[in-house]
Amino acid sequence: MNAKSSASLQETIKSLKRRGVDYADLRWVEEAHEELVVQNLQVQHVSLSTTEGVSIRVLYHGVWGHASSCRFDAEGLKHTADKAIEMAKAVALDSQAKVKFHPVHPVQAEYRTPLEVDPFQVEMQKKIDYLMWAAQVLKDHSHIRTATAMLEFYRTRKIFCSTDGSLIDQQIIESGGMLEATAVLANEVQRRSYPTANSSSLSQAGYEYVKGLDFVGQAARVRKEAVTLLRAKECPAGTSTVILMPDQLILQLHESCGHPVELDRALGLELSFAGGSFLTPDLLNKFRYGSKLVNITADATLPLGCGTFGYDDEGVPAQRVPIIRDGIFIEYLSSRESATQIGRASSGAMRADGWNAVPIVRMTNVSLEPGTGTLAELIRDTRKGILMATNKSWSIDDRRLNFQFGTEIAWEIKNGRLGQVLRNPLYTGITPEFWNSCSGVTGKGDWQLYGVPNCAKGEPVQIMHVGHGASPARFEKVQVGHYASR
Amino acid sequence: MLLGESRIVDALRQAAKDSPADETLLAVQRGGQTTLRFANGRIHQNLHEEDLTVWVKVACAGRAGVATTSSLRQESLAKAVESAMAIARLSGKHIVPAFHTAPHTHPTPKVTTYFPATVHRPLTEIVQMIRRLWDLAKKKGTDLAGSSVIGENELAVVGSRGLVQYQPFSIGGLRLVATQEGTSGFAAQAFRDIEALDEKALLARALDFCRKNRDPKSIRLGRYPVLLEPEAVAELVEWLAYIGFGAKQLVERTSFMTGRIGEQIMGKLVSITDDGSDATGLAVPFDLEGVPKQQVALIKEGTAAGIVYDSHYAKLYHRQSTGHALPYDEFEGPIATNLFVAPGATPHAELLKKMDRGLWITRFHYVNGLLNTQEALMTGLTRDGTFLVEKGKVVGAVKNLRFTQSILKAFSNILAVSRERSLIADPAQGFSSAVTPALLIKGFTFTGQTK
Repeated sequence: MNAKSSASLQETIKSLKRRGVDYADLRWVEEAHEELVVQNLQVQHVSLSTTEGVSIRVLYHGVWGHASSCRFDAEGLKHTADKAIEMAKAVALDSQAKVKFHPVHPVQAEYRTPLEVDPFQVEMQKKIDYLMWAAQVLKDHSHIRTATAMLEFYRTRKIFCSTDGSLIDQQIIESGGMLEATAVLANEVQRRSYPTANSSSLSQAGYEYVKGLDFVGQAARVRKEAVTLLRAKECPAGTSTVILMPDQLILQLHESCGHPVELDRALGLELSFAGGSFLTPDLLNKFRYGSKLVNITADATLPLGCGTFGYDDEGVPAQRVPIIRDGIFIEYLSSRESATQIGRASSGAMRADGWNAVPIVRMTNVSLEPGTGTLAELIRDTRKGILMATNKSWSIDDRRLNFQFGTEIAWEIKNGRLGQVLRNPLYTGITPEFWNSCSGVTGKGDWQLYGVPNCAKGEPVQIMHVGHGASPARFEKVQVGHYASR
Repeated sequence: MLLGESRIVDALRQAAKDSPADETLLAVQRGGQTTLRFANGRIHQNLHEEDLTVWVKVACAGRAGVATTSSLRQESLAKAVESAMAIARLSGKHIVPAFHTAPHTHPTPKVTTYFPATVHRPLTEIVQMIRRLWDLAKKKGTDLAGSSVIGENELAVVGSRGLVQYQPFSIGGLRLVATQEGTSGFAAQAFRDIEALDEKALLARALDFCRKNRDPKSIRLGRYPVLLEPEAVAELVEWLAYIGFGAKQLVERTSFMTGRIGEQIMGKLVSITDDGSDATGLAVPFDLEGVPKQQVALIKEGTAAGIVYDSHYAKLYHRQSTGHALPYDEFEGPIATNLFVAPGATPHAELLKKMDRGLWITRFHYVNGLLNTQEALMTGLTRDGTFLVEKGKVVGAVKNLRFTQSILKAFSNILAVSRERSLIADPAQGFSSAVTPALLIKGFTFTGQTK
């Protein structure tokens, strides 16, 4: 986007003001996504996707109208602005209640991801060599049927301007990848992944992040664990003390805390699709969500987080917001409009998936704050239990209460020591009962941050990148079981 | 408004002609869609989006590369071709290009997928319809949340050796969730022709389920006979397609079909096909590689019968592509997306009467089929209406339940299949659907319950 084009965006905002809108904002977004996949020592897939367009949101006679288009020349911008007003007018005619939302201080600002090496400047051959080397180690066993190594990189540039007078230019770069080994023995199939399963783990960082993941060094462990699982004992069913590793705990946080504290859900705006929330506004500042050890924060300023930015998609500055403090539910993820409805200020969580989507309340980096001690100490302090790692499956009800998660691997804990590997583990529970059973969260040294690139919400469905961090944590009297056929 | 065949195809042809690659394949999906979402007595999201994606796949000296862009301008297309070629040059000799850029010998199904009345429906008319539904719901003491979608799409594929495919699509849909004092009822429809949408019938269904769902009780967990409504069946069948009906899952041995083609894996009352040419569903006559969609029998009277292929996996298996390729920048492998479960002989109204004691389930929520894909073991919850049935009659509502169940086993114990079927689809997506009956199943395992 050059200076001339940027001026045309601002001119569009000025023209909307002249046309009598109560408020308008405009986002121009350009995205690039590079993806490389090596499978069984073959380059399976390499692609570079680019997309660019503009989104205009108007508040006209107290009613929202929103339009987006990949045409953003002068004619395209006018067409999109007309369409946004047309959308608002059609609803305004029906004289529904007018939208109220609090003002923000206008800013002229810039945000750039701090990074060492721009991943889009790294030679593709170098990336393929890194994947090939890791895949070679990963595949090196006769039981490994499929060995996959993957890298992906995102670059998002967006310019936001509004009738408030804000002009915000942001560029976000994310890097990530994953390893996955699928082991097969007769009818038994087991999978191990690193650093997370089902998708890449992303970080808002440069190529240095994926080098730091040390795929080649980790591949042998991943392979070995996948093969070990083939002959491992089934996870026993019953009630048990459970220690969850960060690569599972992040999904627990995502589903049972991140989503229910989205204020639009709590206000019923997602009822037709994703559902509601058990954390209704009347519970603020009094509901005991978890034990005193549970402190959960939504932090859009966290270095390396996938939910980190300078400003959200309605011009609100990034914030660090305690959500659960000492176990008590105290704050929502919110937008300017939804926060106004409960008499609070926006917590700066309004984000859109690309130029063609409308911003909605999304997670930023929702993390469990570290506690004290180490994982070794926590295991030593556990007489009998199960340690589970790496999410495999996930499911939770439409109010975010009843959940069930499966993990790729587990280990028995006996008399304070890790024992044999257990396969097909799963656990289930009710959100506040589960978090209230938290009896230990280890310290900063064990705390790990992951980027989850596939959070789905909204109609049409939007896929958002969010971040979660956690240290290993222990929970008591958890219902556990295994994936045996039923 | 549609850009039209000539404008899109001419742009792609020019780009294919100018491409220095040995083979070039270009696919376009462009569309415009209006989505209104409503809750709490107002329309809170009011969106019109116009989108365009061009996928480019090239082959150069036995290597392949993929790139995309969001513009049909020749300079943008040329840049995408250049990016794809740069990738191809670096991709090593490991990618074996398997796609075709010449016209296919088997014909593309002729099917009408665009209905002007759908896309020309004025926005004010939709707003008024929502207002009417609100008023009717309010008279019953019920709130209404939901969404309305209308839109159009164009899909075109052009190959450097003369392949040309083009098809326009329309889509209209409505989802309603009726709520009253913490209980809810759901109903939804999506069609290519908006004239088929019956909003009053939808409202009646949502209100009826909401009314029946009052004062839900806990029940003892365990195994129950169930009557699954078409929405619930569709979600399970879509998961079966994702984890098991594609060639990639067979290669990786994670599918429940692996090594079992020709074996009885479900009951004889179950037949599942994929058919992109059947306008009973949201028909899509060719895939993004331009390959005409074949009708594929996936499960035939309970027997594992077949799987779907794209060009890459077809070459691996020495088969023909069945026309199930995803966009080129995806690597999930081919997926069956136009699913049909064969109807049975029992009128829907009779199914409930056949239950001595069991559960009637209107829909599922957040199903996950990754637990044990070889057994099609899935978990998920019931939502917006779970009812206890005794001696063929609803005797009360039940709190939402979690199931953990092998769908192979459940589908091996089907007692009856409804004669009627429903088209289940997300109108915002518009290219995939499932046409499903209701199923009466002898046993389904419930392992948890909501508060």
